[in-house]
Amino acid sequence: MAPTIHYYCPCQSGESVQTPPPPHMASSSASFHPLHSLFFCEECDAVRCNRCVSIEVSGYYCPNCLFEVPSASVRAEKNSNRCARNCFSCPICRSTLQVVASDPPDGGDGRPSVSLSNVGEPPFFLYCNHCRWDSAEVGITFEKPTGLAAQLQKFEDSAPESLEFERLKEHFEPFLRTSSLSSLSHVPSTSSHHLPTSSATAAASAALARDVPGVGKYNPPARSRVGRDRTANKDEMPEYKSRMEISVLGQLGSEGDGSDVEALRRMETAEEIASLEQRWGNSWTTSSRTSDLRPLRIPLHSKVSKRCPTCRHILIKPEQKAQSVRYKIKLVAANYLPAMTVALPHTQGADTTRRPQAKAPSTSDDRNVGAIMAGKSYPFHLALTNPLYDPIQVRLSVQRMHVTAVTDGTAPEKARRTPFAVSLPTSSFPVAAFAEAWEYDDDDDMFGLEDDELGLEMGRTRDKDGKGKGKTVGVLEKRANVTVVGGEVVIGKEARGHVKFNMLVSYTYRSDDPLPSEDGAGTPSRTVAKTPEVKTFTFYTVVDLGPILPREEKVDPDI
Amino acid sequence: MPPIRDKFTIHSRAVVCQDVELKGDITIGPGTVVHPKATIFAIAGPIVIGSGCIIEEAAIIVNRRKEVMRVGDNNLFEIGCRVECPSVGNFNTISTRARVHHTVRITNYCVIGAACLVVPTDDETLDDYTSIFGPAAERRTWSGRGRIQEADLRLKHAEYLREMLPKFNRLRRGDGA
Repeated sequence: MAPTIHYYCPCQSGESVQTPPPPHMASSSASFHPLHSLFFCEECDAVRCNRCVSIEVSGYYCPNCLFEVPSASVRAEKNSNRCARNCFSCPICRSTLQVVASDPPDGGDGRPSVSLSNVGEPPFFLYCNHCRWDSAEVGITFEKPTGLAAQLQKFEDSAPESLEFERLKEHFEPFLRTSSLSSLSHVPSTSSHHLPTSSATAAASAALARDVPGVGKYNPPARSRVGRDRTANKDEMPEYKSRMEISVLGQLGSEGDGSDVEALRRMETAEEIASLEQRWGNSWTTSSRTSDLRPLRIPLHSKVSKRCPTCRHILIKPEQKAQSVRYKIKLVAANYLPAMTVALPHTQGADTTRRPQAKAPSTSDDRNVGAIMAGKSYPFHLALTNPLYDPIQVRLSVQRMHVTAVTDGTAPEKARRTPFAVSLPTSSFPVAAFAEAWEYDDDDDMFGLEDDELGLEMGRTRDKDGKGKGKTVGVLEKRANVTVVGGEVVIGKEARGHVKFNMLVSYTYRSDDPLPSEDGAGTPSRTVAKTPEVKTFTFYTVVDLGPILPREEKVDPDI
Repeated sequence: MPPIRDKFTIHSRAVVCQDVELKGDITIGPGTVVHPKATIFAIAGPIVIGSGCIIEEAAIIVNRRKEVMRVGDNNLFEIGCRVECPSVGNFNTISTRARVHHTVRITNYCVIGAACLVVPTDDETLDDYTSIFGPAAERRTWSGRGRIQEADLRLKHAEYLREMLPKFNRLRRGDGA
């Protein structure tokens, strides 16, 4: 397992605590994220992760035909969370279905007797190019190759579950409307996440309130509690009478009935029962036989925009067009925080030799060579890539941990000592600024510049051991905007589990003041030679070097 | 091991590019197109390829058995596939990067999906219209609907290649040992 670095987002820890949880606990993995999934809010100067940002949908589109569906129609219509055009997914392999025409009648030798026209002949059906399923096997054919969703809609609507659902919705709708009107005036929106949706529905509900004279007499401020409103509503609601008996519904192919058992007895192969992935896309439970699976319309995907939870600044705003993958606003953490990768140099030599034999991966040798064994000390390399246009000074420090329990359940008194000790360079070291590739001379190593954004990759055949470095702890290499520092980890003899430690990274950079007004310092006077603002940002990371193998085991795990 | 004696019998209407690696006793029928960088190794026994086949780049057709390996007509061997079957029928499609072991016999109108590994330990014959797909190489039977359109497409594909490939690649002329 390759060593990894994850970054810490403080959203889970509460307002007062800023330090991350101990990394050996399983629950702490929720607070650590890879850099590519993090955002950075400039106003709050803080890292935001996917769990703490507030999300709004900015548009819906079909992933197959890339047709943008307006949000109003997605919310209003009943079945409109799926594509309304000809996009269907194969029930067997869930890939996209193609609308094809039937074969023309042939002379019997497999070769077409008449030349095939472009349009083709009816009846048309859906055909999966991947698994060669076609909808004629379930009896679905069309006379026209367009507007298929509408033609299938009639079948879907007449299903008994669908009719039952419609009846339920009609039954509850008046009560929902009145209770939402009364609750709006009482409940303040605590989380900004709900604010946009409730304002939209509030506007709609207010418009409804004006039209209906009966609701005008209903005076919400007169009542003191919302709860009492709700219970009063419940008492007024008449009992719901379902459209058909529940036992009838049970025979329609849901589980646990006599007809199902009969079908199971007559089953010949395991493929006759539909698998879970094939069935959970349905809205309600259908028959569990593969032959009863029907093609479903492809569900729409949504484009979301993300906001910082505290200052409501937009962090991510996608473009309106479905086919463009770029963003109008993109404040990702990778543009602000240095990207860090960690590598164990003694494993790199083993990995590069295995690259040509990609066809038959053998993990038996890798595990013994690349692993971390108890009782030894290993150097590791940390590569930091600076994304800013200014050079930064970085200082690393390891957070002290109190290890109170070892997962293996070994003798508790030995667990008091920390199982490994990490030494890192303590002084601050610089990382050069990011510059475009064309700014460098041709003499420098140009190949390293393409990978600047990603830092050092594992597959690099640069052999650091071959350079004959005497020291392992300290700055090892500086190249373009990447600095490689070395550290060392000493594993105790009784250590088990993963080598994981929290690391505090703080970096200082000069930000030349672009807007003199916001600083308040008044920078028009250029005689004062550069009073640039020196900012420091601090964040935590967790470095995982991999599992520790106990020393005795040198057995081939494949046996 | 006796040295492999090259003996290529390439029909005059077949299109075989110069960069193809051929070894052993190989017969290629009329109308077949072999793209550059394909590999056909008749190591232990001869290979006979029918008419109208399309063998794309990096495809590997290997015969390690002493018996003749017969490949039928109008098959499509997509990029990167590896086929060692003792017999292949007509109108099959072996998709990109698929691997078919020497224990399998393919009949007609079969489709081996992309990156599927058909590597059973025992000898096996795939029936007509078998379709293999997915990462676990699941199987199902194609109903055969649409086969005429697909056959027509295959013919047009081969015809187009026969016309276009010689304009951009050097051709290997058929010759003896």
